[in-house]
Amino acid sequence: MGLRPLARLAAGPVPTFVVPGRGGRRAADDLRLDGRLRLVDSPRAAAVLLVAGTLTDRLLPAAMLAHDQIPGPRATVQWVPEGRRDRLAGTFSAPVLLRGDVDVGAAVAATYRELLAGDRPSDPPVYPDVPPAPWRGAGPYGQGGKGMSGGVPYGRPLAGRAPDRDGLELDRLPLEIGPLFPPFPPGLILRIDLQGDVVQQVAGWENALAFGRPPRDIFRRALREPVALAELEVARARHHLRWLSGTLRLHGLPALGLRVLVLARRVGPGDVDAVASLKRKLERSRSLAWATRGIATLQPEDVRDGPGGPVARSAGIRDDLRTEDPAYRGLGFEPLTRGEGDARARWRHRLAEAVQALELAGRAGDRLVEAAGGVESPRGALRIGGSPSADLLSRLPALLPGREWGEAVALVHDLDLDMEEAVRAAREEAA
Amino acid sequence: MRPSLSPGFAVLATGAAMAAGIYATAVLDEIVGGIVSGRGARAAGAMLAPVRRAAQLVLQRRAATERPDAEAWALAPALLAGLAAVGMAVVPFGPGLAVAGIDAGIVLFGAAMALVMVAVFLQGWSANSVFPVVGGYRFVAQALSYEMLHMLVLIAAALPARSLAVGDIVESQAHLWNVLRQPLGLPLYLVAAAGLAFWGPLRLPDAEDLAGGTSAELSGVALLLWRVAQRAMLVAVAAMGAAAFLGGWQGPLLPGAAWLALKTLALVALLVAARHLLARVPVERFMWACWVVLIPLALLDVFLGGAQALWAAP
Repeated sequence: MGLRPLARLAAGPVPTFVVPGRGGRRAADDLRLDGRLRLVDSPRAAAVLLVAGTLTDRLLPAAMLAHDQIPGPRATVQWVPEGRRDRLAGTFSAPVLLRGDVDVGAAVAATYRELLAGDRPSDPPVYPDVPPAPWRGAGPYGQGGKGMSGGVPYGRPLAGRAPDRDGLELDRLPLEIGPLFPPFPPGLILRIDLQGDVVQQVAGWENALAFGRPPRDIFRRALREPVALAELEVARARHHLRWLSGTLRLHGLPALGLRVLVLARRVGPGDVDAVASLKRKLERSRSLAWATRGIATLQPEDVRDGPGGPVARSAGIRDDLRTEDPAYRGLGFEPLTRGEGDARARWRHRLAEAVQALELAGRAGDRLVEAAGGVESPRGALRIGGSPSADLLSRLPALLPGREWGEAVALVHDLDLDMEEAVRAAREEAA
Repeated sequence: MRPSLSPGFAVLATGAAMAAGIYATAVLDEIVGGIVSGRGARAAGAMLAPVRRAAQLVLQRRAATERPDAEAWALAPALLAGLAAVGMAVVPFGPGLAVAGIDAGIVLFGAAMALVMVAVFLQGWSANSVFPVVGGYRFVAQALSYEMLHMLVLIAAALPARSLAVGDIVESQAHLWNVLRQPLGLPLYLVAAAGLAFWGPLRLPDAEDLAGGTSAELSGVALLLWRVAQRAMLVAVAAMGAAAFLGGWQGPLLPGAAWLALKTLALVALLVAARHLLARVPVERFMWACWVVLIPLALLDVFLGGAQALWAAP
């Protein structure tokens, strides 16, 4: 069936809301570079729900809710990467199922075209479109009523009075953010109390991706077998650049973020100059400096006795497992540190570490890293049975209270959590 | 008494000017975004992209939230676009030619721009959802900070003209544009302009850390209208910037309307570039910068404008 004129016009980049499941985060990120898609931050603006990776039991209800929030006409595409089980694939009513190494962008674009042409009916909602519980407000505007103030009556967060940090009695709103809130790492669910736009308390967190085994990237492989130092350091540089791409997006520079993502995917030992030039350019940006200096500052005691990593090193703590490795010592490796501990220090530090990593990779020859109990991953000390993400996650309830919302979001992003890596840390409720 | 246009033509002229401006903004945005991201920008693609997005939104159904403030939700984009149209109407596009060439044009413009706060807050409030309402409150903080700045620099531009009519302000720049006569004026005005259109570094109510803020719950035509209204505001403040600081319709050879359009486009291009090259400012930092640095500078600008007015006095 041919397309009507308006539908023909609409057949451009598909507004897509991505649900990154297990094993799908990186691929979901890479889809930003696909000109046939336009990833959106809210399901309300989307036409296609793309489930990338495997769903967990905890992620499924959130994915279904996001599905129902897409206004329609809508469709679902589920993509399961190679080597992953399609645990809950096919849960949605009529999804397009993709497996392994396929062109996801083309499939999404084709699905959207079918929707526009009317060849594919819009997905029916998963949940019935009725309130989960009747509204019991008594007043003329639905306000008041028994049990209808404060807390989360019948699943709806409502503000109640509570003392704030200055000792005033102000409205306090309990909220659950995640697991699909785009600026957060996929799978992180935070239960927080907001007063105005200030985080008053972290009541608990949950890991919606805590299931099965942690992903086997090169750093985890290095725990068990010797790996080439050059390969490890290139992976570190790529990881930091990928993180930087997300940072630029969060701070309102999505186009620059795309440019950095392209670099992150192809960077190698020969690209020291390209990354160093990027570093110089970003450090010259007064607006980026102004937007991040003094924001989400961490004190050394906030990150002491933790996994180290760039978060700690940018707050003045010199922990780095690489200093104990003879292969790195042979290259004259010295860990970089900064003292400020704010958001600006974190992106500058990670960029400096990316340059350093590429330099190390260039000089490494065929040196091997043989882990003695731990590997310095891009997030910090990775050990068998212990991950930097799990440790940083457990510190969130102490780090966020008192921060303005935007600052809190920047801090969660800067910790660079990987919820799949933090498999053992499933949930924590504050007392 | 100034020559006035027939009401029908006035509405048509304002609408056409704004539609052209909104489309040009979207195309420029696409081109600059393509260049900054390194994907490159093809003119044909950039011309079509805004039309494609609009068609997608028209074909999308409109989703509702639980217990929204439906009337206010419908009103918000109309109010914002209406205020932009009022702002546009007072900008003259030729000698003595404006849709609303009233004697106190700059006052009407300021009054309309003060209500932008209401429109954006309504949009945030009505969805009955968390991120939009936080976005709405953020905008109130933002608006309280830039509004003083906005009016002060416009008053400074009006002082040498000894008139509150925008037409007189344009004519007072016959020999020297305000951008040179009052070097503080245009940069400060552009900060306020970005704030009014919650654009680029001042896109605080619609920020990424709120998953879209005031527009997070919008879909379909409602989202299209909100985006159109926002860009209409951008065009209106750019047009006023061109009139107050860049000599408005004045220029050799080309007709006045063409000069105004070119100057407006230049300011729009500047704001579009700012969107892709400047990071979003944290809300507390923006308030601090406004009250501690920019408003005192704007006061200095007013004193300079006053001195120029006295100097030029007969």
